[in-house]
Order: sequence, then structure tokens, then C-alpha cells
Amino acid sequence: MRIACPFCGERENGEFTYLGDASPKRPNFAVDGGESPERVEDAFYDYVYLRDNVAGVMREYWYHGGGCRSWLVAERNTVTHEFISVTAAPGAGAASAVRAGE
Amino acid sequence: MSGYSRSEPLARTAPMEANVRKGVTPASQSHRLPGDGIIDRRLPLQFSFDGKTMTGFAGDTLASALVANGVKLVGRSFKYHRPRGIVTAGSEEPSALVEMRTGARREPNTRATTQELYDGLIANSQNRWPSLRRDFMSINQLFAPIFVAGFYYKTFMWPAKFWESIYEPMIRRAAGLGKSAELPDPDHYDKAWAHCDVLVVGAGPAGLSAALAAGRAGSRVILVEEDTLIGGRLLSDGGEIDGLDAREWLRGAARELVSLPNVRIMTRTALFGVYDGGTYAALERVSDNVAMPDRHQVRQRIWRIVAKRSVVTAGAIERPIVFPGNDRPGVMMASAVRTYVNRFAALPGKRVALFTNNDDGWRTVETIERAGAHIVAVIDPRHEVPAQYQRLVDTYDLRVLAGVVSEVKGGVDGVRSIVVANDKNGLTQRIDTDCLAVSGGWNPNVGLSCFHRGKPTWREDIAAFVPGSAPKGMATAGAANGELSLSACLREGHGAGARAAAECGAAGKPGEASKADDEVYAIAPLWHVKGKGKAFVDFQHDVTASDVTLAQREGFESVEHLKRYTTLGMATDQGKTSNINGLAIMAEATGRTIPETGTTIYRPPYAPVAIGAFAGHHRDENFHATRLTPSHHWAAKQGAVFVDTGLWKRAQWYPRAGEKDWLETVTREVLAVRNGVGFCDVSTLGKVDVRGADAGVFLDRVYINSFSNLAVGKARYGLMLREDGIVYDDGTTSRLAEDHYFLTTTTAKAGPVMQHLEFCRQVLFPELDVQLTSATDQWAQFSIAGPNTRNLLRALADPSEDLTNEGFPFMGAREVKLRGGVTARLFRISFSGEMAFEISVPARYGAAMAENLMIAGKPYGVTPYGTEALGVMRIEKGHVAGPELNGTTTADDLGLGKMMSKKKDFIGRVMAGREALTAPNRQVVVGIKPIDKARRLRSGAHVIPKGAIPGPQTDQGYVTSVCFSPMLDQWIGLGLVERGRERTGEIIRIHDPLRNEDYEAEICSPVFYDPEGVRQRG
Amino acid sequence: MADFSWNVQSPLQQALVPGRHGGAGTQVGVTLEEVRGVSLVQVMARRGRVAETIKAAKKLFSVEPPDTPRAVSGRNATLIWSGPDQFMVLSARQTGDQFAKLTAGFAGVASLSDQSDGRCLIRIAGSGARQALAKFSSLDLHDSVFPAGAAATTAVDHTAVNFWREPGSVDENAVFNMLVFTSFADSLWHTILDSCLEYGVQASVAHAA
Repeated sequence: MRIACPFCGERENGEFTYLGDASPKRPNFAVDGGESPERVEDAFYDYVYLRDNVAGVMREYWYHGGGCRSWLVAERNTVTHEFISVTAAPGAGAASAVRAGE
Repeated sequence: MSGYSRSEPLARTAPMEANVRKGVTPASQSHRLPGDGIIDRRLPLQFSFDGKTMTGFAGDTLASALVANGVKLVGRSFKYHRPRGIVTAGSEEPSALVEMRTGARREPNTRATTQELYDGLIANSQNRWPSLRRDFMSINQLFAPIFVAGFYYKTFMWPAKFWESIYEPMIRRAAGLGKSAELPDPDHYDKAWAHCDVLVVGAGPAGLSAALAAGRAGSRVILVEEDTLIGGRLLSDGGEIDGLDAREWLRGAARELVSLPNVRIMTRTALFGVYDGGTYAALERVSDNVAMPDRHQVRQRIWRIVAKRSVVTAGAIERPIVFPGNDRPGVMMASAVRTYVNRFAALPGKRVALFTNNDDGWRTVETIERAGAHIVAVIDPRHEVPAQYQRLVDTYDLRVLAGVVSEVKGGVDGVRSIVVANDKNGLTQRIDTDCLAVSGGWNPNVGLSCFHRGKPTWREDIAAFVPGSAPKGMATAGAANGELSLSACLREGHGAGARAAAECGAAGKPGEASKADDEVYAIAPLWHVKGKGKAFVDFQHDVTASDVTLAQREGFESVEHLKRYTTLGMATDQGKTSNINGLAIMAEATGRTIPETGTTIYRPPYAPVAIGAFAGHHRDENFHATRLTPSHHWAAKQGAVFVDTGLWKRAQWYPRAGEKDWLETVTREVLAVRNGVGFCDVSTLGKVDVRGADAGVFLDRVYINSFSNLAVGKARYGLMLREDGIVYDDGTTSRLAEDHYFLTTTTAKAGPVMQHLEFCRQVLFPELDVQLTSATDQWAQFSIAGPNTRNLLRALADPSEDLTNEGFPFMGAREVKLRGGVTARLFRISFSGEMAFEISVPARYGAAMAENLMIAGKPYGVTPYGTEALGVMRIEKGHVAGPELNGTTTADDLGLGKMMSKKKDFIGRVMAGREALTAPNRQVVVGIKPIDKARRLRSGAHVIPKGAIPGPQTDQGYVTSVCFSPMLDQWIGLGLVERGRERTGEIIRIHDPLRNEDYEAEICSPVFYDPEGVRQRG
Repeated sequence: MADFSWNVQSPLQQALVPGRHGGAGTQVGVTLEEVRGVSLVQVMARRGRVAETIKAAKKLFSVEPPDTPRAVSGRNATLIWSGPDQFMVLSARQTGDQFAKLTAGFAGVASLSDQSDGRCLIRIAGSGARQALAKFSSLDLHDSVFPAGAAATTAVDHTAVNFWREPGSVDENAVFNMLVFTSFADSLWHTILDSCLEYGVQASVAHAA
């Protein structure tokens, strides 16, 4: 399998590590915030454990650890293994970035 | 880069001319023809088969040399030990499997048809005892009923315990193939990458046309061919192309391909796998054509080929017809007969009968007659001579019989006669023959196009499956695509090559396709001739037509069930000659059509690949890359014993002369530290430079405790959780400057933690200004511990450095100058519980540091210690490590719950608060001491209440880490025990069913030694 | 007081045996060279400070750092792309604190990490270099894909390496550079050497100038 790193170009999949679904966003957790502990816990429960088992195109995190050490977001068809797009995580380079999920 | 291949695709084209100057054919080659052939008669080769010396010529395969020597019987079959001969002339061979070489290089199940002959080749037949001609196990034929389809499932059902002791050894001895070598393989293998625009698979007329078109257009082309020569069927069947004799055209095509710098020809290279994204795998048999690889050369090499486009021109395989006795030596595929005669000048028989249901088989007539042998009969079930071959009937006065072969008579030496039955009038007649050439039609090689679950489609006109949909980027052409005529192969190959090149952006002109006359290919399918006697479908696994129909009667109608129940197609040949016949017979038995019956799923590898080739360079000491610490060679010189810790080699202990075992060594090392001073290389700890304006805030989010409030010049122990609240890793992190932290991880988790930190930086908290760099390899880091540590350091450090408790307090961290002009980082941290520092210098000074520590510490008896002593001292101090940070424990389980900040968000905070993770009955870290001080505590042993009966209900935890404590003079340990902290002083029972041990122990504080921590702060 | 000498040791101190290895006769298809005495600094732009980092680099090296996988020669240093908005500065090691000087040059705009001892520099050249490299690198090193000055962060034996083709090195004289992690150097050297043996190897030690 070949993955096109947006920084390095097409590379063999052994240079990459798969993490999983890129859809869940880590809930913001304000220590003194108004949200009830139960709601925060439910949100984290969803974030940590609940995943769709997608047959088709899915957004996933991949890490180019054997290369430029960038975290990437790939759209991949889980049925055909075809990569539709690969883009960099918001903080991969040094550009100013806003916090994901905001 | 110019084309690269070790093999020379054209090396043997010269002898095509040279063979006019004929050498003397040795007498043993009774079936060697005087005429043409692509062998080099100037290079006679001697070889031995079953101990008998024979000769052949360069250019021969083992099979062709055996044919030339008149050998028909080459092995015994898998289950029934039936005599078997050579069936094909290619890689699809299901029958002529031999043991190649001897000793450590012995390799069973080698296809004689692909094994190149070399001088001194040693081959033996397999699966026979005591000899090939007199094989006792052929008695299996009498017991045939127990070896029918599904015999594994039926015959040896009961009693179960007989399986291992009686049934299996018995079956293995009776049924089986060759014996593998029992010694380590002395040869080397490797793997390599290749890249191209257009990969062409198979160098027959279609493949050559494709490579020429793509190469002329300017694409980077790789042409792989499993044979030693390019040419495919042109080498055997000749023909006329562009008005030239096929071999003449072939020489021209080869010259042109070699002249193109963008074309790389790889012969002896079989493509065996198609993977995602245009990655292909091929096996190059680099040195299989010699007795022993050259020095520094590999036997085989796996190529991973990355191609933007591929053109599969892998040809077609002639299929047998299933009739009684079709496995008798001397029954051979018609195309193989032509290959042996035309390519190898070896005559498989002098009185040849031809059994064909299609026009192509008729080519064999002319080949045999021109070779000076005779066609004794042509048996064609179609009751009509094909128009294009009518002239042969007259020229050679052919005896043409309408009907089928219903019986084959003969002995171990092969066919003596056949019985031909006229299927219309039922009359039979017997014909004497020494070779039966069979053609049941051609099956396009659809395998490669189906490796991504593509389904082949049925073409009625050629009675064969052709590729349905191919994987992205792949095209099929020529015979592999069901186009069986030479003209179509040339045309389709050229077109596919030109298209692939254009799709890759090549701008050049592909030139014109070569031309040949159109031939007619007509076929009337014939799968199975019913009659008495075994009719084989799968020669290699001894699966007969009646096995297939039996499977059907027993309900195994699906082809996938048929395959597994009968083992049809599951041998090393993967059913290349048998699968289609098997499913056709199943179709007939079930009354379905062949396409309705369908094919089994095609999976790589297309050709057998040795495990050694998959391993490549990665075996023995090269199994995986290893990491050495900066003081490794120094430690080796001190006689250190090393232990694998992940990829690292770490000094485990340093034995001295006279020490009786490791325990004595480790005990000495511990006492040397606790009473004096010692040092240990801890460079393996992961080290990360964390820099940037928000470095402190970042660390606050990844650790449970705070780091933004850490003063510059101080170190702090930190604990990380996973987002699910379980402990992930720990280590000390020091603040070296306002915007610079130096973070350490455990040795085991260095890589994963770095990845996790990058995830936090790039994905979770991209708004923070923080930069991470691994500095693990930059620093040689040593732990120096023991009451004389400060004295040692005073000798080593520049006199201006203040190392007093005030000048360098516990948990201090800063740079210090050393005598001799080197600057080090010094951290006052302690894992051993002693007065201790960790010192780091750039890695280039690692070996010098070890030597200088020995010099500086000499007055204090400084002792290097290994990971085992390190482990003893951390257990004595109750410090947790890998066995406690085991992916199930929380911070509180480890006694570190109070570190969890309530003033900030951090990874794992919310989920760590879940009910089950904060339950009062969780298993927590405690110390454990056997009551009997002589008793050796073992890790993994269970903890149960005193007086309870051991079992899941009473199990309360287990021992995680143990050591012999020199300070307590007994074995001690850490354990995870339910409500353990409330139970200090309780006597519990240690139950160890694995080692059959049961004894009492006391729960105590995990800190066995210096609980007040006076020593490390002193 | 005892005297302390601080002899430096290369991670290839044992693995690299200078001289000819493998091959047949006197043929040398590959030259393998460890380059010692290098200074190597990882430079990562701080968040939102890419433009300033480029400016600072240009001032120090008279050349812009590469923003794609390339290696560029600047004043007394080669700048090698190592990831988005980051690069490595490779130069000959000098007396005095090179790292402090660079840190000052990039103060406030980029984070630096001294990697002079964290990597080992191995150079591969010769007519068999590409064939040998194909055995342990998955990169396509064809001229059209990987011309002089091309760079890649890639993996060898599952280990990250910085790889580049020497700027200006063409045709059969192409020189390939690899920065491998110090702790892996001994092991990777054996993998590299084994891959080169069939072509004949000349192994040597060079010092950065």
C-alpha cells in the first residue's frame, strides 16, 4: 500500500502508523466550567470508546513516524483500501492554528 | 538509471546459432534429438538423479534433461504413491516434484520443470521407500477407500488421543511430499525495491509487445519473466511475425528492449502478489541455477515493485483432461511435448498418441513428425478434423480417431498403450504408444487479476475463464486475457503497453504493433471421461474425479467447500492445472453451469515462495535492528552480560571471576552501590527536547501533575495517563530554561510516547507553541548512586561546581563543567533510593565517561552495575516499573493518586474518575515478604486470603516484581493486591499452580528500604 | 587529582572496518564512508514564526532553508529539510559553542535541538550504490524522481533516517547521504554493508571539513 504524505509525497505504508477514526473530537473540558460532570464524562466516553464501523470512505489518523513525523488525516475507503485524500493535521507545521474542535 | 538485472535474458540466444556446431551427445541422452533447440551443446553438464549419473546441456531444465535421458518415472504421488512422471514444461507442474540438493541445502517439492540444470546438480525423487521403482507405500493404493475426500475428517475420528500418537505420524509417513532440510539454511536471501511506470508481467509475444510499446513511448518499464529466457510460447511453438521466423523476431525485440535505457528486463523472476496502491511482489531466483550462490550473493531475492500501471501478459496454462489413468508417466500436456522437442531437443516419446479437444493440440502433430518420431493416433472427440490441419492428415497419413481415451495401460516406466472409446458407437480399440500428449484447452492465467477479489468471467467460445475486473491500474492482454492467437497477442500487448505508457504521461511514440497471421482456435469442452480406474483432477494432492462427485453427494457443493473437503488445489501448485477441471466436474454433478459454480477466491502467492525469501536479511542476529548504548563496547570489554530490552542491548550484570551465579554478581553490585558507589548506563531512557513558549502548558496537559510551575534548574517526577484514565508512562522532566524542558520516558515506551506527544501537539493542542525533538540518541546518560556519589563527582567535576546539598539539592538539574573541558547535564534524581545523580554528556563521550567514572570512583571502589541490580534497588525502594505500569493500573493503584491535579485538564483526567477506576476494592501496589525467609518469591504467583481455597472467587491479586534483597537478606516483591494498602501486616497465601508452590507471606509497605528517604536526600 | 581524557568515540568504532570488503577481485562498486566531526542542529520554526525563521536562516547561511524535501548548500552549512517548517543544519564541527551561536541566530523564532551526537552520517556512492540502496530503502532514486539535492525523511529497517542526495552530484557520481540514529548505527551499518557486498565495497572514515 502506498500513502501520499502531503509533505513527503507517496511512500510505502510501513513508514506510517494507523491510529483510527479522525471524526471524534476531544471534548473541551473547562475545570471551572459550567458543564455538569456527568455531561463531561458522557462526552469523554463517546470520544474514547464510541466508533462507527464504516464500510466505505472514512476519515482516519495516520502518523508518518518513519518519515516527517507529521500526523495526517486520510480519507480512505475501508472496502477497497483506496486513499481519496491525505491532509496534514492542523498543528503539523508551524502555522498558527486554532484548537481542533473549536 | 539503466536497466538492472543480474540475470541475462539473452544469454542463451547466441547458442541458437551455435548449436549448429554440435558437440557429441553422450550415450545416456537416448532421447536427445539431433536438430534444433535452445540448448548449448558445447556445454555438457553432468547431474545425478536418484544417485544415477546422467548428462544434459546448458539450457536444459532438470525435466528436459530427464526427458532427454529417457526417464519417465520421477516420483511417487502424495497419498497413493502412484508412479508419476513429468506432466508440463512450466511452473504449473503438479507432478514432477523432486528434492533438490543435499544436506542443509536440501529443498523438497522443487519443480523439475523450472529447475535449471547445472553441472553437479543432485536431485532425488521423493515420497518413495525404499526406492522409486519398488515403493512399499504404493500399497496405499489398496487402501484407497480410506484416503478419499474428507478422509481426515472421517477415518481418524476416535479416539481423539490417538491423533497425535498414532494417526498423524502414520499419515505423515505414508502421505506427504519431500523432506525439508533439517539444518539451518546456509544461504542468504534479501529483499529489494524497484519502481517503474509500467510493469509488464510475462515476456511472451504479448508482454514483449507491451514492453516495446511502453518503452518506445519513453516510460520506465520493468518486464518480469519467470523463465530464464524471454519469448514465452515463441520458444516452443515458433511461428512467423512480421515476415520473420519467430526466433529471429525475438532476437530483434530483445535487442531493441536492451537498447532502451528506460526498460529493465528481469528474468528468473516470478510475480507472485498484487497488493494495494500499485505494489507488486516478485521472486527472483538469483542462484537457483548453480550449486551454491557466489560469495556475497543471495540465493533468492524478493522484489517489491511499485508501478503506476501494470500490463499482465502472463499467458495461459494448458489444462489436462480427466480420464482413467491420466496420471501414468508418459501422459503429458501437448504443449509440454512441443516444448521438450522444439526448445530442448528432447523427445518425450517415439510413438506419440495425441488426445485433444481443440485446434491448438493439433500443432503437436507437426512437431513430432518433424522430429523423426511418429504420431500413432490423434484422438479428437469432435469427430471432425479442423480445416487448418486437414493437410497434416494427408502429409503424415494420420490415424484420426473420433472419441476419447478411456484407459491407460502401462507400468512404472509409463504408458504402453491406451484404449480409445468411440463415444458415439461405444466401440473401443487399443493403441500402443509410449507417450500420450493431451490438450484439454487453455486456461488464461487470471490469478493476478483476481487477487483483489476480482471475479473472472466465463467465455463460452474458448471454454475458459478470462479476467473480469482487474485491480486499479492493471490491464490484461494476450492469452492471459483469453486471446489465444499469436496475432491477437501481439496486437493486444502493444495496445495495452501503449495505453499504460500514455496514462503515465509518456509522450513518445509507441511504434507499430508486430503482425502475424490470424489462427483459428476452436474447442469443444471435454472435462471428464468416465470409466473404471482412478481419473485424477489434482495430481499433486491425489484428488480424483470420484472425490469431487463424492464431495457433491455429501453436500460439499460450494467450490470453497469442495476445495477444503477434498484439498483440491491446495498443494504447492495451487491447482493451476486442476481447479477448473474440478469445478467443471462439480458443475456437471450439480447440474449447474460452470460460471454458476464459480471459482474459489484467488490469493497470493501465485508461485511458492520460500520463507527464507520472505525473511530476507532479517534472520539470526539481523532479525531486527538493534540499538547499542554509548558505553556498549566498554561494557562488553568489562565482560558484561547483555539483555535485550526492546531493540536495545543493555548490560544486565557484570560477572567477576569466581562468582558462582548471576545472583551472586547482582548481590555484589547492589551492596557496592548501597555501601559505596556504582554507576549504570541509563541512556536507553527516552529523552525529548520540549521547547517553545507554551512548553509548560503543554506538559501540564500531558502529565497528571503540573510542570508550568516547575522552577528552572529543577526536575520533577511526572506520570502520564492514557485518555481512558489508565497509566501510560512515567519519568522525570527537568526545566533547563524558561522555554526548554527535558522530558524522559521509560525505555520501553520511548517511541510510543514520542508519537503520543506529537499527537497532542499536532492534533489535540495545535494552538500551543511547542516543538518536540527526540534527544534519546544525543545523550549518554549514567546513573551514579551510593553514599560516595558526591565524592566521585567532586573528583570528576570542575572545582568551581558546588555539589553540596545546598548548592545542588535533591531534584536539582543543571549543567556542570567537568575536568578536562566537557560540559555535562547533571540531575539529582534517584531510582535506587541512594544519594544519586544522573549525568549526561554528548554520546561521543559515552565510552570516555564510563572510563572516567571508573577513574574518579576508584578510591571508593566504584562498581558498574547492570539492569538487574537497578531492578533490585527499585523494588527495595518500592518504585513502580513496567510490571506495575502494565496497562491496567491507575495512578491511585500505584500509590500516586495524590499527584493528580484538580486544577487543570489533562489527558485521562475525566475518564480516570470513573466508578470502576476509583472503586475501593481495586488491586493496588503493596510489598510482599514470604514468612519463611528462605523461600524464593516468584512473580506471577497469585495472592489469596489465608485459609481460602484457591480459585477465581478467592483470587485477590498477584505478585508483579520480585528480587532477592541483599539489604533484607530475603526474597521480596511488589504485588497488586485488592485493598492492599489497608492490609499491611496481614498474612496472605501465595499460590503458584504453575510451579506447584504454596506458602504464606506478609503484606507490607512497598518501600522496604529507607522508607523515610533519608539516604537520597543526604 | 586524576586526569580525565575525553576521547570521542563514533558509534561505528567497531562496525566500520576501513578497507575493501566483498565483491570479486579488486572491484569496488560502492564506497561507504562515515563522516565524523559534524555539527547537526535541528531547527523547528515556532508557531506562527515561519517567515522569521526563513529570514534568520538566510542571514546565517545566505540561503533560504528548503520548504520541500530538498537539501541546499549555504554558507558553511547544508540545510536539509526534515519536516514541515523544520530543517537540519549540517556543518563541520568547530571549536567553540556552535550550538549557542545558532541558538542566538534563531532566538525567539525557532526552537533548536543539538543532534550532533544523535545521528551518524553515512555516505554511499559508486556505480552499485542505487542497487545496494534498493535493498534497504523503499525510495525511488531514479534521476527523474530523486535528482541531486533531493531529500527525504524515510525509514530503513523500521528506523527513521534523514536521506538526501548531495547537491550537485550527478549521474554515476551521485552521492547519497544518510543520517541514522546513533544507537542504531552499528546495526544499520551491518545491514548496509551486507547489501553492498556483492558489488565490492570500499569502507572508510572521513572527517567533515
